[in-house]
Amino acid sequence: MAGAHQTPSAMMKPLAKLFKKLQTFIKCTENRTSILPQKKIIHGQPEEEEFNYQTTRCLSSYYSIFVARLAIMVMLAILIGMLTMLTWHFTKVYTMNSINSLAYGLRYELLQRPILRVWNILNSTVEITMAQVKLSEYVISHYEKPLSQEPAELHQMMRDVTWALFSSRTALDAITISYRNGFVQAFHRDHRSNTTFYIYCELVNSSVNQGKAHHGHIHKPRDRPASAIWYRERLDPVTGEKKGDRRQIPPDDLIKIAGLAEVQDGAASWRVAVSKFTDSPLLSAALPVRHPSGGSIVAAVGVTTALKSVGQLMKELVDFHSGYMYLTSLEGYVLATSTDAPLLRNTTGRKLMMATDFEDHIIRSGAEWLQRAYGNKFPINHEVHAENVLLGNQRYYIDSFFLNLTRLPLVGVIIIPRKYILGKVDQIGFTTLVILISASICFLAIGCVCILILTSGVSKAMKLRAELISQLDARRRAEASSNYKSQFLANMSHELRTPMAAVIGLLDILIYDDCLTNEQFATVTQIRKCSTALLRLLNNILDLSKVESGKLVLEEAEFDLGRELEGLVDMFSVQCINHNVETILDLSDDMPKVVRGDSARIVQIFTNLISNSIKFTSEGHIILRGWCDGSNHSSRPECSEAQKMSQCALRNRSKQHESIVKKEYQKNDKITLWFEVEDTGCGIDPSKWESVFESFEQADPSTTRMHGGTGLGLCIVRNLVNKMGGEINVVKKDGQGTLMQLSLLLGMPEDCTVNSFQTEFGKYSLKVLLALHGKQSRSIMSQWLREKGFFTWEASEWNGLTQILQQVFQENMQWSTSEPINLSRIRVVPRENSIHKMGGLDILIVVDISLLDQSTNIWKQQLIFLDQYRGKAKFAWMLSHDTSNAIKVELRRKGHFLMINKPLYKTKMTNILHAIVNEGNFENEKGSNQLNSSMDEDLHESHDLDSIHFDAISSDVSDISDMDNRDSKINTFYSEEEITERNPESHQPSYSNSQKISTQRVPLDKIIKKPNILLETENLINMSKDFTETDKHGGIIMDYSCRYGYNKDNKKNMISSITDNLQDIKPQAVVGNEDAFLKLNQPHDGGESVIEQEYQWNVKPTLYNKGDIKQKMIAKTSMASPGNTHAEGMEKQLSTERSVELAYRGSRLLENQDMHYSVHKNDCVALSSLVPDQNPLGGLCILLAEDNPILQRVATTMLEKKGAKVIAVGDGMQAVDAIKCMLCAEENKRQNSTHQDDVAEGLSELQKYTSFDLVLMDCQMPKLDGYEATKTIRNIEAGTGLHIPIVAVTAHAMSSDEAKCLEVGMDAYLTKPIDSKLMVSTILSLTKRDV
Amino acid sequence: MAATALKEQLNGLVNSMFAEGLLDEQFQQLQMLQDGSNPGFVAEVVTLFCEDSERILTELTKLMDQALVDYSKVDAYVHQLKGSSSSVGAQNVKLACIQFRQFCEENNKEGCVRALNVVKHEYYRLRSKFETMLQLESRIQAYENKQQN
Repeated sequence: MAGAHQTPSAMMKPLAKLFKKLQTFIKCTENRTSILPQKKIIHGQPEEEEFNYQTTRCLSSYYSIFVARLAIMVMLAILIGMLTMLTWHFTKVYTMNSINSLAYGLRYELLQRPILRVWNILNSTVEITMAQVKLSEYVISHYEKPLSQEPAELHQMMRDVTWALFSSRTALDAITISYRNGFVQAFHRDHRSNTTFYIYCELVNSSVNQGKAHHGHIHKPRDRPASAIWYRERLDPVTGEKKGDRRQIPPDDLIKIAGLAEVQDGAASWRVAVSKFTDSPLLSAALPVRHPSGGSIVAAVGVTTALKSVGQLMKELVDFHSGYMYLTSLEGYVLATSTDAPLLRNTTGRKLMMATDFEDHIIRSGAEWLQRAYGNKFPINHEVHAENVLLGNQRYYIDSFFLNLTRLPLVGVIIIPRKYILGKVDQIGFTTLVILISASICFLAIGCVCILILTSGVSKAMKLRAELISQLDARRRAEASSNYKSQFLANMSHELRTPMAAVIGLLDILIYDDCLTNEQFATVTQIRKCSTALLRLLNNILDLSKVESGKLVLEEAEFDLGRELEGLVDMFSVQCINHNVETILDLSDDMPKVVRGDSARIVQIFTNLISNSIKFTSEGHIILRGWCDGSNHSSRPECSEAQKMSQCALRNRSKQHESIVKKEYQKNDKITLWFEVEDTGCGIDPSKWESVFESFEQADPSTTRMHGGTGLGLCIVRNLVNKMGGEINVVKKDGQGTLMQLSLLLGMPEDCTVNSFQTEFGKYSLKVLLALHGKQSRSIMSQWLREKGFFTWEASEWNGLTQILQQVFQENMQWSTSEPINLSRIRVVPRENSIHKMGGLDILIVVDISLLDQSTNIWKQQLIFLDQYRGKAKFAWMLSHDTSNAIKVELRRKGHFLMINKPLYKTKMTNILHAIVNEGNFENEKGSNQLNSSMDEDLHESHDLDSIHFDAISSDVSDISDMDNRDSKINTFYSEEEITERNPESHQPSYSNSQKISTQRVPLDKIIKKPNILLETENLINMSKDFTETDKHGGIIMDYSCRYGYNKDNKKNMISSITDNLQDIKPQAVVGNEDAFLKLNQPHDGGESVIEQEYQWNVKPTLYNKGDIKQKMIAKTSMASPGNTHAEGMEKQLSTERSVELAYRGSRLLENQDMHYSVHKNDCVALSSLVPDQNPLGGLCILLAEDNPILQRVATTMLEKKGAKVIAVGDGMQAVDAIKCMLCAEENKRQNSTHQDDVAEGLSELQKYTSFDLVLMDCQMPKLDGYEATKTIRNIEAGTGLHIPIVAVTAHAMSSDEAKCLEVGMDAYLTKPIDSKLMVSTILSLTKRDV
Repeated sequence: MAATALKEQLNGLVNSMFAEGLLDEQFQQLQMLQDGSNPGFVAEVVTLFCEDSERILTELTKLMDQALVDYSKVDAYVHQLKGSSSSVGAQNVKLACIQFRQFCEENNKEGCVRALNVVKHEYYRLRSKFETMLQLESRIQAYENKQQN
């Protein structure tokens, strides 16, 4: 029971725990729901949605988990419950069944035994009675005969016999024989006192002889009670001997004597009697004793047996088995019970009691229950088996059996407490049940806990998964939206650019307006600047979005990487000089000259990077380094010093293994180029190194205030770099500033050539004195030169320079002649020595013009000082853009014509060296050739002059006439050309020729200089038109006249030496000159050319090297029309822009900071168009192919307003036809003009036929669209060598469309609606050289 | 005096058209192109535009009425209309055309019909304004001629 007590409490604990857990869980979820809204309030709008989303998701997942848990638990509970029930049921039922059957047997057996006892008693009683009867009959018959015999004998005999019987049956209570005559003999055994009595009566009338009397009347019926005296004798129970005296007793007092009356019918009678002396009922049987002969009844024999033994038996049984038993008669009188309760009632004599009235309450209630249940309608055999009868407080089995004796049917009832039979079973069953239940609850609890633990794991996983899914979802959405954004922006490019173009165009129109006040003009200019800035920003964003949306297509074309970068550095250096920042280009020698890639994008990358650096660098330097990594992406050392060293090492190594590197290039057509952009600006915080490449990200937000910008530049750079298969990142740098490192994967052209000029200077043992202001560039340059085998000195300021000069030349003085400086003498010395010796002039001094003190006039003294070294060394001057013209003139006057613009980089240095070496050679050769010439001095001088001239003219003419340009170029490099590559005798005449011309040029040059100075010092706009015009007219006309003459001479002279193709040039040149004359009345062109003149004359010589000239010559001569090769056009464009830009800057110092405006072509033209000009397109004839009548009309009007002649056609077919006609005419003209003897005829031919200078081609047209038409035109042109510029006009603004346009052979691209300024600038850029 | 009033009226009309978004800056460019050398330029262009648009709209209506719509043709016409309207500066017509083209690309007939109606609506609205404008201009012209005489 203790276990049973413990188990419930043990069971309660997990239950309680579980309950608690559930409660906390519910609370938890409630808390969560209740906390979330607060969070929402705190975090505000953007997170709200997400939170909502999460909350609902979270809650729903909680609920689902909760429900799942509950379901699993319920299922577990059901399972365990069923198992328990089944187990309990089977154990219980089987036990119960078996025990029930056993119990039934037991009960039956139990009841059967007393009944059997009763039965035995009855039988034995009957037997005894029968025996007594038989014996009595015998005795009577024996004594019948002698009737006279003493009845006493008979009685004695009977007594003995009866005693014998009586003593043999101890169970007998009494045997009585009552004779007919009323004599009674009886033996009685008192069981209580264990005494045996003999009872007899004596008849009163035969009082003398009792026996006799008795005998005598034996067969006679007599009134027995009448007179009889009853006696009782005590007997020895064993022997039957008389033990005591007889005592008189009242009749029938002790026992009931069966009388004759009872046996009248002669059958045995049974009944239950009650004796006075015994508590128990008695069973009495009576049989008559018949006369043997007569058959009359002579006596009645009665036997009584106490039923007490039955009761005792019952008691014994009950003692052993517990329970209650009783026997009743059919009527319900209790005959025997297992209790000690009295069976008889003493109320009115001793009587049997009904079972229902029994004192023992169990028996009574049992009897009552039976009565109630069955009443009088007992089943036939009276058998009742009832279980689970509640009597009192206990359950009992009640079984009753029926014993159908004749005359005495008996009913036995047994009441056995259930506990006795099933007590243990029930207990065990209960215990089992309890154990089972507790076990199952334990299992359930453990199971639930397990489920909770397991599902909590699962639910965590589920939660994580749900979060992951939601994250993925969110990411997808975000990506989609950002993609949409990019797509949108990319698609919007047209829509965005159009209004901007309109705004800018309208502003230009406004600027044109003459009636603006100065303030208005300033405001409009400001607006225009802002608009341009906005457009640039838009372009940036659109570029970015284009890259991001994957619409940017990188083109793959060969280009000269070095030249592009040099151009870039040139451009930025101008900007940097004002900032006191040096811009240095440091490209390693092993870099391939020509690579394949998208040059525009690469330039954009470096433009962005450098402009970014410039923005943040207030002083110091910006270095653009580049090197080639071959196949191995070797790690770069961190430290800048070590970097340089390693770079050097790298270079050296690559030089040594050049052939190996070359092989590698050939193997894989891709090459990885590494670049570094280093500055000494404010630097970037290391934590921002990654984020600066993000959109709209700036390292320091405050920089926006100081420097402006949107933070898009670096993002675009990174996107572009990634697109080109490279990487960009910020690298740790020693000292202040930022170091950006990027790699680009570029294609290699098929015939790759690595720069291979290095070794050729080795033989000249040159010494170089670098007097440069910038420390970094100087050190890099000197290092490079030293690697090349030059000896270098470095000087950073004037004093240093003078010191070095004095030092060096004092030594030299001692070494060379001590005579005063005589140029011819000095030249003579090397002549006599070897060819390669530079003749004492083996010292090159590169002087930065900024070393001179320009603020005062000291520079003149300084120049004079330097002049004394002129003969001993070669000077190369580095000019900056703002170097005053006076200095230049002075320099030129002094014979320093080797001038270059800042910054100094390797290509320029190489060119200088080339020039020096060649000059040296030239002098040597000339010396050897003209040993006997007496005009040594003059020759030299004129040569110097000549080269000045060439510079001036080359720039001058370049814009007016390409033909002239070409010629001038030929002349410019004339001297170098002929000396280096050809046999001297063929050049000799032309040289002298040029000499002649150059002498004529001197005054001309001066005239040309005049407007230059004006342009520099004065505002361009305020410049008097007339003045310029007349002045220039005069100058240029003169120039042309003499040039014309020169050309003629030149041609004649050159027939023998140059190929016949050159002959074609002449008429063209004439035509070109004619055209140029016609154009001279346009001040714009003139002005522009003059501006350019100033700046080009420095650039040109350095840009063109020998190879280029050769190429150009061949190209030119093969071309009939005054066209130009693309490369040249590009260069020219570049130089034009730059020069205009510079002019603009010079004139408008206020706008210095907007320098990079003019990077864009259209801007540049817009600026140049500030020069008042009504007919920029004057004289041009334009073919307009446009199907839309409205657009046709509009465009025609626009163009006509600009002075162009427009012929409009409706579709591509007509356009092609028109071009065909023109080409035929051209062909004719060409054929005619090849005869070259009649210039006038050529001219007239030209005027007769309409010649289109340009085609504006709509892309979408009926019959033949723009692309097809262009293809056709290009096909037609294929044989002729002509190239008519075709400009696409399309409503599509995508770069892919642009690419498509350019692919089919169009030269430029305009978007609808047409912006007139852009159109004009485009047309001008394409046609200018054709004029 | 009357001429100046008329001019003011004309200016007001044009300005209101700009304000309503019927016209955009392209029209300004057109106006700018008109000067002494080609006095009726704007009128000419507008007339051209009207004629052209009328033709295209008739074609489009015809095409849309057919059971099987040839979307490529429709697209070509709409593109033309878009080009001409954008070069005149008829902004609303242009926008409607862009919408129309989108439906066209989707081959959405219902949308096309709706878009066509929008285009027509915008066009007629614009045309009525243009007519008023042209009338005004012609009257101004007449006055000026008279004054010269």
